[in-house]
Amino acid sequence: MTVRDYLVLSAAMFAIGAYGVLGRRNLLILLMSVELMLNGVNIALLAFARVHAATGEHAHVLVLVAMGVAAAEVAVGLAIVIAVFRNRKTVDTGRLGSLRG
Amino acid sequence: MIVFGAAAAASVIAGVLVVTRRNPVYSAIWMLVCFLAFAVVYLKLGAPFLAAMHVLVYTGAILVLFLFVIMLLNLQPEEYGRELPLSTRVFTALLCLGLFAFIAVPLVRDEALDRPLPPVPADFGSVRHVGEALFTKHALPFELVSVLILVAIFGGVLLAKRKA
Repeated sequence: MTVRDYLVLSAAMFAIGAYGVLGRRNLLILLMSVELMLNGVNIALLAFARVHAATGEHAHVLVLVAMGVAAAEVAVGLAIVIAVFRNRKTVDTGRLGSLRG
Repeated sequence: MIVFGAAAAASVIAGVLVVTRRNPVYSAIWMLVCFLAFAVVYLKLGAPFLAAMHVLVYTGAILVLFLFVIMLLNLQPEEYGRELPLSTRVFTALLCLGLFAFIAVPLVRDEALDRPLPPVPADFGSVRHVGEALFTKHALPFELVSVLILVAIFGGVLLAKRKA
């Protein structure tokens, strides 16, 4: 096991999430993809912490904070999805163009 | 090695299925598989506390919230939204493959990364170690996150509330 394996997995999850954000138009799946990207980054953080063993506790706290921020982000994001769906009857980002310049 | 390979393959396959399913319910189910595989990766990294927290927060809170909202919206298949044309999707997929290669190729080429990981330090991921750090040296970020989540709860309720 080298740190590379974990970093490549992390990069793969980030790229998959990026595809979901860029290539899909369903708001719910967009939010899920953001979660995948956040997860990938957490793995990279922990893998680096294993290389520099003295930083273990800092990395753990950082990952926990990232999880808390992700939970808060999902709560607000899903509330916005509900509000948008109630007003516009759609979760298709292609049809949500009111703010287009 | 086998455990990590299986968990990595499962999370990547489940991740691809998450972003390609048309029905958000199926995406949520595959996200469950992906998160459980990630918990195994956390265990392999020597972080049992984080693995437990990951399962609790992601599958226990976030995924349930997703499923709850999907049920609440009760989307019909014609409401999933029109997908981008196939050519655009293929282009986006290639772009993201390029992003992956951009990160992964230098990693594979770097010989400094050939060394195997050092054995897990004695108290690397123990509850005691993490808890001590969380409540002494890192108490401020911990409290800030709790304030953030409180604000997010208020924001969520306020945004999703039906207008009177």
